Amino acid sequence: MAVGSFFTSFDLSAFINALILGISIASIWLIAALGLTIIYGAAGVINMAHGEFIMLGAYSSYMLQSFLGFPFVLCVPASFLIVALVGLVLERGLIRYLYKRPLDTLLATFGVSLVLMQGVRLIFGSDPKYLAVPPIFSSNIQFSFVNISVFRVVVLLVTLGIVTGLWALFYRTRFGVQVRAVMQDKEMAASFGVNADRVYMLTFALGAGLAGVAGSLFGVLNIVLPTMGASYVVQAFLVVVVGGGTLAGSVAAGGATGELQSIFAYFTNDTFARFLLFVLIVVFLRIRPQGLFAPSAKRR
Amino acid sequence: MNLYHRPGAQWLAYLVFYVVLAAVPFVVSDNFLLNQLSTYGVFAMLALSISLCWGFGGILNLGQGIPFGLGAYGMAMTMQMQSQDASNPMPPFMLNNSLDRLPLFWVPFWNTGVGITLALVVPTLFCAIFGWLMFRARVSGPFFAIMTLAMLSAWGTLILDIQPYTNGVNGITPPAPLKLGEIVVDPYSPAAYWTVLALLVLATVVAKLMTLSRFGLVVQSVRNDAERVRFLGYNVAGYETAIYTISGFFAAVAGCCWVMLTQYVSPAQFDTTFSLSMVIWAGIGGRMSLMGAILGAFLIQGAQSYLGDAFLNTWLLILGGFFILVVRFLPKGLIGLVESALGRLSSSTGGKTDGNGVSSIRSRLLQQPGE
Repeated sequence: MAVGSFFTSFDLSAFINALILGISIASIWLIAALGLTIIYGAAGVINMAHGEFIMLGAYSSYMLQSFLGFPFVLCVPASFLIVALVGLVLERGLIRYLYKRPLDTLLATFGVSLVLMQGVRLIFGSDPKYLAVPPIFSSNIQFSFVNISVFRVVVLLVTLGIVTGLWALFYRTRFGVQVRAVMQDKEMAASFGVNADRVYMLTFALGAGLAGVAGSLFGVLNIVLPTMGASYVVQAFLVVVVGGGTLAGSVAAGGATGELQSIFAYFTNDTFARFLLFVLIVVFLRIRPQGLFAPSAKRR
Repeated sequence: MNLYHRPGAQWLAYLVFYVVLAAVPFVVSDNFLLNQLSTYGVFAMLALSISLCWGFGGILNLGQGIPFGLGAYGMAMTMQMQSQDASNPMPPFMLNNSLDRLPLFWVPFWNTGVGITLALVVPTLFCAIFGWLMFRARVSGPFFAIMTLAMLSAWGTLILDIQPYTNGVNGITPPAPLKLGEIVVDPYSPAAYWTVLALLVLATVVAKLMTLSRFGLVVQSVRNDAERVRFLGYNVAGYETAIYTISGFFAAVAGCCWVMLTQYVSPAQFDTTFSLSMVIWAGIGGRMSLMGAILGAFLIQGAQSYLGDAFLNTWLLILGGFFILVVRFLPKGLIGLVESALGRLSSSTGGKTDGNGVSSIRSRLLQQPGE
């Protein structure tokens, strides 16, 4: 009886919509987590200010758009550069002194996140800002019973593009070889003439820049607020933890968690789905504490 | 020997500190100020629990809001049920959310004793299970910190979500102060202040004795090198779970006290900012020192109350900046300054100095003294 009523209430088209929404959620979490993955994977730094980097990306897009009249398509790469620069300054000024104390990088970057959040609130105020996009981005695609907004497709495509680009960067360039060498064994890489300090600096800037891209996209999906980073950062962390700190791991973890969230949410509701997902992740880590695809070699 | 590391001197410092605190109600007649000071005592207990777990156990815990919040909710439910009776068994917010009878998990809170016991046992049990799951899998360091953060946010959203049972974002506001038998605990009275203070003293003494005990030594060696302790045949996961659970229990006690003082609890107690500020108190005061963490809580919360108004917009900016500086330059917190000052004093008054630098560094690494 209960099973029967379950199946009658089970609506296939709505479920397929939920699955598609899951892909979109996955791409959002993944793009939020990419910068974090790179910074954690390469330098072992847990960047608590990552959410605020996302927020900075959104605000720099907002600034470029409303004060300089940049078109949105140009705002995205521009906020990459701006936030990457912020990341570079932070790494040179603070993080590089703390590489030997990984827990302290977590704390110091939390201090940074407080400063950034309050700083932005002082400059721009606490009222929400909005990013304008070309009208084609704000429409919906209707394909028989499947319904999804164009912008979510854009986010998905950008995520795919960035993942491909990162893969090419890490596995097809000289810099990528250096990064992977430093990841495996910093001293050994240094003795082969790799400037590990420079690698850390550049990966940190790259990770920050990716947060900037994510932020300028999230600014369209949602409103732009000084506190907006906090809502993405926990999910981004979970993607990194479940994935194990590698690029492939984050892609798989982002896909799995996003899809599961959407499926759970279909059967219950958003918040309860989140609770269920988190509990599931705890159980998962009990079985595979190193994450899905952990780097097999020794770290530093 | 550095006076700072001498247990006798440490106990004396605690004695002086708490005698001064106990005398406060004789000087302060303003009840609101007294209530505020009592809440600082609660925060100090939280900082103490963080110091146990992070400073001594090396387990950075960003989710201390979970046991605190669960304890607080348990206490609020107990106090709420004290205002209900058989003819009117349901709190008003449940009626507003159109529940037709009292939810099952609220029923035990009819009895004050059972309610308070649950408020302490449930969070402790949660910490034990969660800690055991994580530490058995050897999840440690930053990963554990992130998982506590995730659990915190999961609990926060869950409590927010089940509005008919917890009144969602509005939280629970028990209408009357706590009654223990015939005694009514007026949150603005010196009695409430002394109750909190007594619990804080008790927690401090227990924590201090623990760090001096054999158990405390093993916990500290787990912090310094878990792998080596494991090879020596100790059950590392067991010790980690134990210290994490004990620290969670202290946080649950703090949660109960907090609701007793404020008659209010809401999902804001599960905010990440709140849990992280506990870490900030302990970090700025000095995580390696129980006293440092306690002083840190008093200092930061006091500053927030009194300077926070003057620097309303820049307070977080100042706090964040200050915290960065402490993490960067003073990993032992402000109390570390006292330590080195006393160290200089004792070495200038003919204290034995180490012959060579290496052995001095070695002994410092090996000692990593509790206080």
